[in-house]
Amino acid sequence: MLRRDWLNSVSMVTLAGLMGCRGYQYGHVVKPEAANMVGSHEAGAEVFDPLVEEAVAKLLMRQQIATDDCPMGPDGRPMKKLICFVGIENKSAEDIGDFKDKLYNQIDSQILESNSFQSISTRMVNAALHETRMRPDALMLPDNMRLFTAVLQRSGAPVDYLLYATLTSGTTKRNSSTQRDYELTLELTNVHTGQYDKLSSEVRKGYHKTAAGKIWNYNPLKR
Amino acid sequence: MTQCARACSTAKQLFAKRQFKFGTLVACLFVLIASGCSTHSKRISQPRNLFYDGQLQACRESLEKLSKSNRHDRDVVKLDLAVVDLLTGQAKQAESKLREVRDRFDHLEQDSLAEKTVSMWTDDQVRSYAGEDYEKILIRVFLSLSSLMQDGIDAESYTLQIQDKNEQLGQLFAQRSGKDAIEYKPLPLGFYMRGMLREATHRDYDDAVRNYEVASNLLPNCEPVLWDLHRVRGGVHSQPGQGVVYVFAMVGRGPYKIEVAEQPTSDALLIADRIVSAVGPYKLPPTVAPIKIPDIVVPASDVDSVGVQINGNRIGPTASLADIEQLAVSTYRANRNSIIARAVARRVIKKATVAAAKTSMGKDSGLAGIGMDIAGIAWEASEAADTRCWGLLPRDIQFLRVEAPAGDHQLQLNPLLGNRPVGPSQSTPIRVIDGQNTYVMCWFPDARSVSQVMCSNRADIGAVLERR
Repeated sequence: MLRRDWLNSVSMVTLAGLMGCRGYQYGHVVKPEAANMVGSHEAGAEVFDPLVEEAVAKLLMRQQIATDDCPMGPDGRPMKKLICFVGIENKSAEDIGDFKDKLYNQIDSQILESNSFQSISTRMVNAALHETRMRPDALMLPDNMRLFTAVLQRSGAPVDYLLYATLTSGTTKRNSSTQRDYELTLELTNVHTGQYDKLSSEVRKGYHKTAAGKIWNYNPLKR
Repeated sequence: MTQCARACSTAKQLFAKRQFKFGTLVACLFVLIASGCSTHSKRISQPRNLFYDGQLQACRESLEKLSKSNRHDRDVVKLDLAVVDLLTGQAKQAESKLREVRDRFDHLEQDSLAEKTVSMWTDDQVRSYAGEDYEKILIRVFLSLSSLMQDGIDAESYTLQIQDKNEQLGQLFAQRSGKDAIEYKPLPLGFYMRGMLREATHRDYDDAVRNYEVASNLLPNCEPVLWDLHRVRGGVHSQPGQGVVYVFAMVGRGPYKIEVAEQPTSDALLIADRIVSAVGPYKLPPTVAPIKIPDIVVPASDVDSVGVQINGNRIGPTASLADIEQLAVSTYRANRNSIIARAVARRVIKKATVAAAKTSMGKDSGLAGIGMDIAGIAWEASEAADTRCWGLLPRDIQFLRVEAPAGDHQLQLNPLLGNRPVGPSQSTPIRVIDGQNTYVMCWFPDARSVSQVMCSNRADIGAVLERR
């Protein structure tokens, strides 16, 4: 009887062992129309994509109106203004990791697609920063701006505007729930006149320790 | 097919006639598994000695031989080979090996019940080695260094992976143990290297500030990191006409595992009781004799930093950025109870197996019973601790940042103890490029060992290319 029990237990363990083999990791391509995954601890594509789209669209729309009276090109169409996208500054509470360069490219590509602006190559901007040894945040000083634009002009890019992007955040806490407001601000400065324009877009996001946290904190009957 | 059917019918006959001796099965099992007495720590001792003697080619051959002869050691040997590759200037091969092991260890994080079951009747050496937590973090550190020694294309990704892995392992530990993962303190080196790379863009100074801030919070007394933080808050990467040299120094001999006899702790007995109850109708005895488990040791070091000179001008000593000893010991000790528990459970299962075999054969007393007891003792004695580990690690990774005029220079490195030279200095030609970083990597295991120095932009290589 004992032997049978023992054999039974051995065979059970062996069977369980054979069943518990290591699996594989799988991947799939997310369809363009599919919604982004929502990050549980930090902002991700679900925050940054709409931020960039909204901020750049607002900027281009306003500048479209502002540049309607700009000089005409030889083809009779308004000449595109040359923008130098200096960079993105992350002042939010989160480290955006590998998202920074993606945001830069996203903003740059959207500007490039517009009819009113032509952006300067990132490599050219980097080379000018490297040559002048200037920090992006020091370019607003008149002397620095003159030197920087002169270097770009020498490289064949007579720049009209400098564009800065800043990512900021504001955090509201309530017990185990947190709301974080992410804001992307675009600052456009005319290097000839010194005039500047500023636009921003915002996405708010809630983080909760429990699934009920969303219902509890964002209940329409609450207020 | 016919042979198979014949074999099945023979087996059936054996069972039917009850001529199958259960003791024979146990004896066969014992013979099969009793061969596992040798441990990795014994097998790796020769290549390790060759490495510290500076005989890197002989060390490589010895490691390759070991990798071929013992498949269970293959992954850890690959890690050792990657270090040898890195120090012999084959950074690309090193990166490739490290990537392979990183992916394999990630895959092995999933449990295999089959391996777990077999290990309960043998020892932990039959399990695929999934790497210790500190090794998983350090693989990413060495991947970053390997990338920096070539083109640096993937270096930034690897620095992000260091922190990601650290967080992930800390969360897993907290889930497993129900305790806070205080042992999984982030490695300052990862943040520092990311800050260093962001600063070198001449654009993302905000990222550099953020990362240096984290590094300086983790190392509040490290002055060089504070200088860097101060510079990136208001200054620039380097003055026009100057470049930067980063010296990454591996100092001392790092952690490795040895076999020790350990008395099970109450926490370990609790976990062991759960394992034993899960696999069969066994009970944990109130006391368990000492069991063999692996433990981490770090040899004493007679070098504590490296002095850096450029063209004979003393710059200063390197400062610690990654205390590998502390990382290895703390993360390993945090998981030690699980290792002890597995060893206790294994012993109980082996004892129960022998007892059940004796009872089923009716050999509780007499000569056959004594024979089975002896076989049982030998079975338990054949068990060895799993000492597989990444054996060629330094004790500490240190750094020094030097801004120097663009051009060719001679870099001298001296092993120091208490700021006094304790061994022969090493010299290497380097090329500093205007506005860019040049990376130098060296290893001083002790005052007597032959050190290795690697550079991402060697002046003599540049000269050869220019001549061509």
